[in-house]
Amino acid sequence: MAATKSSAPLSRARVNWSAYLYIAPAFGLAILFSFFSMGVSFWASLHEWDPFVGPGRFVGLENYARNLTGSDSVFWIALRNTTAYVGMALAGMLATSLPLALLCRKARCFQGLFRTVYFLPSITPGVVVALIFYQIFGVWGHLLDRSATALPAIALMGVWSGAGYNMIIFLAVLNEIPQDFYDAARIDGANPLQEFWRITLPLLRNTLTFVTVMTIIGAYQVFTSVYIMTQGGPERSTEVLAFNIFINAFSVAGQMGYASAAAWLLFAVIAVFVVIQMRIFQSRRIYD
Amino acid sequence: MTEQPALPETSAEPRRGHRRRVRLTNLLALVVMLLGAGLMAYPYVYAVGGSFKTRAEFADDKQSLIPPRYSPQALASAVGGQADADLRRSWREWPPLRNYADAVTYGKIDRFLGNSFIYALLVTIVSLFFNTLAAYAFARMEFPLRDLLFGLLLSTMMIPAAVLLVPRFLVIQHLGLVDTVAGVLLPGFAGAFGIFLLRQFFLNIPADLEHAAAIDGCTRWTTLWRVILPLSKPILITLALFTFMGGGNSFEWPLVVLSNEDFYPLTVGLALFRDQNGQDWPRVLAASVMGSAPLIVLFYAAQRHLVGSITLSGMKA
Repeated sequence: MAATKSSAPLSRARVNWSAYLYIAPAFGLAILFSFFSMGVSFWASLHEWDPFVGPGRFVGLENYARNLTGSDSVFWIALRNTTAYVGMALAGMLATSLPLALLCRKARCFQGLFRTVYFLPSITPGVVVALIFYQIFGVWGHLLDRSATALPAIALMGVWSGAGYNMIIFLAVLNEIPQDFYDAARIDGANPLQEFWRITLPLLRNTLTFVTVMTIIGAYQVFTSVYIMTQGGPERSTEVLAFNIFINAFSVAGQMGYASAAAWLLFAVIAVFVVIQMRIFQSRRIYD
Repeated sequence: MTEQPALPETSAEPRRGHRRRVRLTNLLALVVMLLGAGLMAYPYVYAVGGSFKTRAEFADDKQSLIPPRYSPQALASAVGGQADADLRRSWREWPPLRNYADAVTYGKIDRFLGNSFIYALLVTIVSLFFNTLAAYAFARMEFPLRDLLFGLLLSTMMIPAAVLLVPRFLVIQHLGLVDTVAGVLLPGFAGAFGIFLLRQFFLNIPADLEHAAAIDGCTRWTTLWRVILPLSKPILITLALFTFMGGGNSFEWPLVVLSNEDFYPLTVGLALFRDQNGQDWPRVLAASVMGSAPLIVLFYAAQRHLVGSITLSGMKA
């Protein structure tokens, strides 16, 4: 990491006061839409809140309690569904993206074509993907109409959309592993399997962590596909947290505080992964 | 990857059997990758095929990728002038692009696309400008609390979008910007990730260049524009592409902020169009194809900059 080297006290002469003007727009937006917004969210979570009336009665932690223990609360159902989705999406992602990257390197021709085709879903708006798959899942036996298959189907679509992107990340890292390593291993009589376990995989460890964490964080916030394809149904089988928050905040009167509390609970669930993500960011050790 | 020096003959020359095995695995890999590419392409082919079907055709047959009217036999008979009367009438009643025309006429898809384009362009330009200014200050200027402020800025990346949805709406509401374009765009006008990437890039530009510029009488401001930015073209292009595509893809935020259909970006417009045309899927598929084609074309045009630099989004700098 290019560490900031300015631990020495600043001399007055070198201080560049105009710097504050340079950072003002970006920092102002960060204050308003991140820090202040977080405060607003917490404040709202302690109140009864209607989007068009404003703050109502102060209720303390009641919104959190209602989410966690209320008889009408779907928080736990949503958390279970979301976690199941994350598990399936992650498993599918790891089972496809790295093998695809390895295969892409092995395939001697059409590599450019493969990169392009596998990357297509990453540049197709999620709404479009969801609309098309809505039909395709119908053709494949009405997967979205049954509570047993709806969530796996949505996860399958998630994997389809993300596999190519992660494949390209893996490809980039694989291409940076010096060929010498493999040549040396071959001289020592290693077979391809040993090469993979002893060279490739250890060198990919940080990238694997990165892809895993990003997939988890992204999948916990799945929204568009559920909104377009199932609206949480059938029988709440695809009710996920982000969708639940959205509905409570914007489609049910007076539940914005309740939705904000749910949002903080979601944040708490993924906080661990977020911390790992920040570690990776700060260490920048993704490619060694 | 760098060119590898050849190994000594004895160890580099693989045995014949080994080589055959290598060739076989390569072939297998190729076959699997081709199958995978087919799976990747299938939804697109399905959508394009569906978008050319008539409503009746789609109701009868949701599976086929090529509408019956465009099957090789039908086309051959049409070209040869031997198409039977039914087929000819069907061509007349349902010209090839009818679903696309309907999507524009009844769904204002062209309007939504235009909105999306303008929003994405505005967000890209403004955020690139603000992010560049901030990144340059953090990379090259000395001022009290610099590192603390930078750390704070980075920490905003930790906050999941799902958590910010509600409070950002409340902020926008308080500013009186609900149902305005400004309300949709404002939160995207700067971002920690872009600042982070740009700063990293600026740090790698030799400071000597700036000293030379200073001697030539450049101020900080002119140095940034005349020296730093021209050198930063690759990262700026990459960041611009990512921002533009992110802007074209955003759905939940505009869905929350906007209620006036005339302001809808394509994503929200498509969702609305589906709700209004629940039974007319060929039309919805035509709208989807129209909606995603521009981004895909842009991607092809800019592929060189994108694919190579996804590593960048994977945070290599």
